[in-house]
Amino acid sequence: MTLLSYRAAAAVKRLKAVAKHPYFGFVLFGLVLIAFRLLSLGGLIPNSLMKPLVLTMIYAIVALGFSLLLGYGGLASLGTAGFVGLGSYVIGHFSGTLGYPFLATLAISLVGAVVLGAIVGFISLRIEGMYLAIITLGLSEILKEVFKSFNAFTNGVNGLGFRNFALFGLPVSDFAVDLIVIVVFILLIVGTLNIIKSPTGRALLAMKNSDSAAQSMGIGLMKYRLLAFVLATIYAVIGGMLYMADQKFSIPTTWTLDFSLNILAAVVVGGAQSITGILLGTFMIFGLNMTVLNNIPFFLAYPDATWILNGVLIILVTMFYPGGLIRLLLTVKFRLVKAVNILKKKWRRYRYGEDD
Amino acid sequence: MFENILIVVACVVAVYYAVDLVFLRKQQKRPVYQQRLINLLLFLGILTVLVLAVREMTLYLFLQIFLLNIAELCVLILATTGIVLIFKTSVTTNFAQGTIATVGAFTAAKLILWLTANTGYAMPVKLALALVASAMTAFVIGLFVDTVIIRNSRYPNSIGKQMITMGLVLVLLGLMPLLFGLVPLTIEQFSYDGKLINLTDTLILYVPDHNLFAAAVTAAMLVLLFAALRFTKWGLGVRATASSETVAGMMGVNTRLITAMSWAIAGVFGGVAAYLYAPVGSAVTVSFMTPVQVNGFLASVLGGFSTFGGPIVGAILINLFQSIASFYNSVWTNVIVYVLVLLLVLAKPLGLFGKKTAKKV
Repeated sequence: MTLLSYRAAAAVKRLKAVAKHPYFGFVLFGLVLIAFRLLSLGGLIPNSLMKPLVLTMIYAIVALGFSLLLGYGGLASLGTAGFVGLGSYVIGHFSGTLGYPFLATLAISLVGAVVLGAIVGFISLRIEGMYLAIITLGLSEILKEVFKSFNAFTNGVNGLGFRNFALFGLPVSDFAVDLIVIVVFILLIVGTLNIIKSPTGRALLAMKNSDSAAQSMGIGLMKYRLLAFVLATIYAVIGGMLYMADQKFSIPTTWTLDFSLNILAAVVVGGAQSITGILLGTFMIFGLNMTVLNNIPFFLAYPDATWILNGVLIILVTMFYPGGLIRLLLTVKFRLVKAVNILKKKWRRYRYGEDD
Repeated sequence: MFENILIVVACVVAVYYAVDLVFLRKQQKRPVYQQRLINLLLFLGILTVLVLAVREMTLYLFLQIFLLNIAELCVLILATTGIVLIFKTSVTTNFAQGTIATVGAFTAAKLILWLTANTGYAMPVKLALALVASAMTAFVIGLFVDTVIIRNSRYPNSIGKQMITMGLVLVLLGLMPLLFGLVPLTIEQFSYDGKLINLTDTLILYVPDHNLFAAAVTAAMLVLLFAALRFTKWGLGVRATASSETVAGMMGVNTRLITAMSWAIAGVFGGVAAYLYAPVGSAVTVSFMTPVQVNGFLASVLGGFSTFGGPIVGAILINLFQSIASFYNSVWTNVIVYVLVLLLVLAKPLGLFGKKTAKKV
């Protein structure tokens, strides 16, 4: 009997240890998402809720990559839209139109991402701060013009459709696409966690605080800047590929400055240095519009009006909570814990008498 | 012979550019002769490209394309000046410059419609009133942004201000369909005629009246701005704030007033730019100023934010590149121009006329 209870206690202890692992929350989140998807298969959760959630996850992937740049590297870039667009066109053209095997497409897109990221990183060595944001904006505009004009690759202004998506010879259904998105999403979150806690992440953080100080501590500016941009571009390109797999259509007018600004907004509103914050921010900027607001008649008549909320949110957060909504939540939590403690104390006084 | 020389010069510039980018930049401190050399070579390079291109397309055609593009050039100069004015006083890039201007253009277009329906004014009067309305709307919004939003923000740093302008873009983009409806509006030109200039008996150049009007308005506004910067107390304050806001404040400059006025005046520049752009660009829609905004940013980076004249030269260069590139290849015009600007900025990271500011660690 005692042995059994001892074993049970040990199991509980082990479970507690697992629950404290940094991956635990995110893996659980992924499992919940998969459960959601299964429920929506049975019709318990409407598709109008599930579709936006999947799209939000794709945007969150892009935002995660961007946070490596902004939150950890301190590098403001407005080239996101171009890179995401590139990813969508690469998979659309090579896998869809030409019918290459998926691994070949993946290789092409990764090479493209590394080359582009290296170019931007190289530029970032010379140009800093707000100039960099503008130059990357120019780069994104170049990519957008290429999408518009390079008809053989992107089908021009008419947009490129994406049919016959096959993985290793098997056609992929919508359900499978959603599962892939969820799995890639969780994997990338875990990957980002690892990068942040690794020497690379620390080096990026040092660079953000002061270039010169980081250099004098032996951190090579060139290596880490290039790395930050290459990583961000890879995330963006993966996001673009998933976008194409999910939406099955890509058109140049999607990949404008607005898209980059929205990703930036998601990262800033949530809190650039916290993964939970980024997920929260992405949901506030993209998910909330698509799931809740678009069902309100007023916003159905004026779909652009949802942007007002986003804009006001960005302005208020930058004005009063530069750490993002996650910082606000933490503050609220801290206050609550304090209040609960005071209540507890009062209860004890009442229960056990005045002096304790 | 002449072309051969030019091509040799272009080659020298290209080789130096590559060497400079890859090897010489590694040196910590750049000697003065090298800075002068790269300035000279860049100047030669730009000149060579222009001369070669103009010879290819003949001077007549070049002038004609340039004259047809004057309105867009003026719009770009006005927008760029607004961006630089804000950068000088608030040290931030105003992403909402184009969107604030769009609100002005919408007001102007609505006013024209209202005046046509309710009053019997002649067309020029209506258009003049609309111009004032556009400028004043942008003035008020600019003032509002600085005094209400930016001044009350708890942690004002340049990235934060930049974020606020981005948020403002989204707010205005959402508000405009509510205020002005979803239908694109139009602003008419003062006259759809043009002037003819006889170069010789056979070569005749054509300038649309709207372009002359735009040039006159732009010139007047720029002269006023530069005179104000040079001779008024406000101008002195702007220059003092630009060099250091804290020190200017300590010396008794009312930096809050200076900043607020800069935002408002930048708004006026944007409003007039949008008003001039609407008849030549496209109908007034929520995002019709976006290309101008992007080009304005690139022009200010190309010219360097640290002077007022530099960005104007940048705007002129971008417009020249555009008119030349559109002659050779109309589809890839923007790509060619952006790549050229990118290469130039890589050679001179602080802009063509930029000055290096010392930074403490």
